[in-house]
Amino acid sequence: MARVPIEEGFFRIPDDPAEPPRLLGSRCPSCGEAFFPRRLVCAACLHRGTDDIELSTHGTIYTWTYCHVPLFGKKDADVAGYGVAQVDLPEGPRVQSILFGGPGDFSIGMEVGIDLETLRQNADGDDVVIYRFRPAHVGAAASTGSGPATDGAP
Amino acid sequence: MTRALTFDGIAIAGIGMVRFGMYKDVPSAFLARDAGLLALHDAGMTLADIDEAFVGYIQPASMLGIKAMKEFGLTGLPVTHIENASATGLVAFREAAWAVSSGRADVAMALCFDKMTDMTGTGGRGAGRDQIDAPILPAAYFALWAQRRMHDRGTKPEHFAAIAAKNWNYGSACPFAHRRSDHVVTAEEVLAARVVAEPLTTMMCCPADDGAACVIVARDDFVRARQPDRPLVRPLASALTSETYSRGHTFVGPVVGPATMTRDTAELAYEAAGLGPDDVSVAFCHDAFVNEELEYYELLGFCPEGDAEKLVAGGETGPGGRIPFNTDGGLTARGHPGGPTGTAMLHEAVLQLRGQAEGRQVDGARVALTHLVGGGSIATVNLLGVEGVGT
Repeated sequence: MARVPIEEGFFRIPDDPAEPPRLLGSRCPSCGEAFFPRRLVCAACLHRGTDDIELSTHGTIYTWTYCHVPLFGKKDADVAGYGVAQVDLPEGPRVQSILFGGPGDFSIGMEVGIDLETLRQNADGDDVVIYRFRPAHVGAAASTGSGPATDGAP
Repeated sequence: MTRALTFDGIAIAGIGMVRFGMYKDVPSAFLARDAGLLALHDAGMTLADIDEAFVGYIQPASMLGIKAMKEFGLTGLPVTHIENASATGLVAFREAAWAVSSGRADVAMALCFDKMTDMTGTGGRGAGRDQIDAPILPAAYFALWAQRRMHDRGTKPEHFAAIAAKNWNYGSACPFAHRRSDHVVTAEEVLAARVVAEPLTTMMCCPADDGAACVIVARDDFVRARQPDRPLVRPLASALTSETYSRGHTFVGPVVGPATMTRDTAELAYEAAGLGPDDVSVAFCHDAFVNEELEYYELLGFCPEGDAEKLVAGGETGPGGRIPFNTDGGLTARGHPGGPTGTAMLHEAVLQLRGQAEGRQVDGARVALTHLVGGGSIATVNLLGVEGVGT
């Protein structure tokens, strides 16, 4: 079954389900600042024209919260809540993202890695996915939080 | 580059608002009409006196403002739509004040309205469910700010709850507030409410509601002639900024902007008015989520960085305190329909400066500060004063 992004242009989904997704960013050839998402004009030095890059698959939690409501747009009605974080990537960008895990799984400064959350199936039967971050100690088999991991899902 | 405006020779001519609440079966144009008619009555005017109008709302629809203005009559006046998310009302007022101060109009109207009950799902920020920033609850973005504050400063949920209780209790004293509790709200009650996004409970978050509020600005000689027995309230200065880039800026999501934006905007407004935080009698801020209010105590200059918790513990921002905040209940209790939030804030600021805020009046109020942030994001700070201030 194919996986399609909730919106094009923000992340790349690898063909191999074992590979993490990659956030699509830009780097300014003039001042070196990196951005997510991709942009034409450098927000720091206003240079026109940036280079495409793929951002790191790991970052650290700058701040986080846990929402005690279902994730909007997710099909599983029984999902009680989900974590949200701002994640600082090594290249510089701070990315707001869903977290995988329960309310007790996160702390500021914790290292997290990127993977994919399945929101629902579209009319073609494809999985509609969005990126999320996950602490290393929260396993794919965990049943808490924002739902089962997509890795290895049927 | 002019990011702050100073106003000369102008005054508030009239104010009017429809109490915020749920008006599911009332068209927004009727809410706007009723608020506008109250403001015209307060000013002693009809539409024939209005030279220019600025209308604001955040509903994703065009032409609503022009259509709402027709409820007062059709005189051919210029009408311009203003939209700056939560800050829409204050920015419509800023444009009306500048239209008069610049001399192009003698009288200008800022009319704002919204119906959250007409909006669904994404809170009206325009993201459909197939957009990258759709899945996350907007409250989460402010909860992220609260969590970081707790980490950096040792702030407790009790501090946020105390601010919420203060605003709920102010709302009970204000006839224009959506939430009017029948009992004194305690911090314990706020903490015991359902958690939405940690550490924020439902009682720390603004309600979704409908409403309208209108402010009319005019040349001060017009206002003196129409309302000779009323204390004159003057718009003094207005600052408006969008973000400047810094590392860690987030581009995706309903961005709430860096905290420094409010601080820089307030400094511009104070400088333009020739005033400082010590001159302010009563303040209003964007307390859509009450942890914001705590941050703004510092960013608006009312205490040093890191001391906001002491202000809360000392009750300094409540009745009888050094700098009362959000005396109409703020966004927490008065409500936050979006567009009219800023003009409702001005409604209360003007009542305070006229000495008409019965049951919640700040003694001897001479200067009011109104602040809002708008998602995207922008910040605006406006200063108003009674006759003799800043002149």
